Amino acid sequence: MKILIADDDAVSRRLLEKTLQREGYEVIAVDNGLLALQQLSLPDGPRLALLDWMMPGLAGPGVCSAARELRGRPYVHIVLVTSRNAKQDIVAGLESGADDYLTKPWNTAELLARLRVGQRILHLEDRLVEAGETLLFKATHDSLTSLLNRGAILDLLARELARTRREKGCTVMMLCDLDHFKNVNDTYGHVVGDEVLQEVARRLLFSVRSYDFVGRYGGEEFLIVLNNCDSSQAVLRAEEVRNGIANHPVQTSRGPLPITMSLGILASRDWDFHLAEEILGEADAALYRAKADGRNCVRLAEPKASSDPHSQLVK
Amino acid sequence: MTQQRDTSAQPSVNLPELLVRVDNDRDLLRELIEIFQEDFPRRLQQLQTYVGQRDMNSVETASHGLKGMLSSLSAMRAAAAAARLEQMGREGKMAGLPEALAQFEQEVEGLLPELDGYMMEAKQ
Repeated sequence: MKILIADDDAVSRRLLEKTLQREGYEVIAVDNGLLALQQLSLPDGPRLALLDWMMPGLAGPGVCSAARELRGRPYVHIVLVTSRNAKQDIVAGLESGADDYLTKPWNTAELLARLRVGQRILHLEDRLVEAGETLLFKATHDSLTSLLNRGAILDLLARELARTRREKGCTVMMLCDLDHFKNVNDTYGHVVGDEVLQEVARRLLFSVRSYDFVGRYGGEEFLIVLNNCDSSQAVLRAEEVRNGIANHPVQTSRGPLPITMSLGILASRDWDFHLAEEILGEADAALYRAKADGRNCVRLAEPKASSDPHSQLVK
Repeated sequence: MTQQRDTSAQPSVNLPELLVRVDNDRDLLRELIEIFQEDFPRRLQQLQTYVGQRDMNSVETASHGLKGMLSSLSAMRAAAAAARLEQMGREGKMAGLPEALAQFEQEVEGLLPELDGYMMEAKQ
């Protein structure tokens, strides 16, 4: 494990360095507070730090306060090493953000034991972060397909619309619905229905770029959000998505099943300033037209002011 | 190396304690003494200058650094003399400052030759 030691006294620094190396630590030794802070700011910086209280440039408590202000870095367990053992100094050190303190000259066994305590706390912190990440994933992803869930894809859509409006770009949304999916469930059962949904999700992810988003919008409905894509490309991209599903039957435990999908698509630039909810309704109307026109096809939603008041036939 | 040195004066360094601290590593002991011998004269000279200038903040910082070095080498009497200077620096107490410096110098006078002796022993 990496550990930072900061001490301007070369004798103590070398002694500490060697003691910790013997215990298997990967030691980074610096002789002042500014260099210590620099090390703690690195993305892959040490997560354990032993800082001398009095150092030129920036003293130990100053390094602590500044390190606690850093964002996007995992927690660092900081131990202040001091020969000042007045109670008010210790309180001030801990208030500055230190987790523990040791008095000089340190006792090696005590030093190592305290560092093990630090490692235990860091381990707990890691488990907490991991649990948080798992919960966040579960809160934002669909458990069957692992795609973004409805709430998450709608949040992303709103964010993308705001961004492309700011940057005068264009976001394309594709509302996709499996055709006659109820028949699959009724004929083969829900287990096979779930297999179809999982395979469709995989194909949808495969058919978009790494920076596009795919979410499960409802039962057999999916929402795809494409960045930097306008209406001229949108129809072609939607056809690729549609063909990705229709061209090959889905392999299930009950054999291969032909599956198709209808798509209602919309390019935000064509719709000026609208909230996500408003234009989603338009995409839904285009999807409805695709269904009415025989399914397994793509329809582009266009504003009513255009020459065609409804939608443009693309297949 | 742990034999009592042939001197009537009390040694400046608590050698048994120092050996525990370096985990009986003679190479490390030699290295620490070398670092000290290189760094100490400069730090002592700085302290003498600050005392002469009655720059109490710098007296505090300089003697604090010396105290840390000396206590790491288990030179506890010299470390205590540095701690007195540090305290005076912190309190801005100028009365008795030259005497406290003289006492510190006296404590460290025998230290460098004593450390030389340990170096010779550590090389054997």
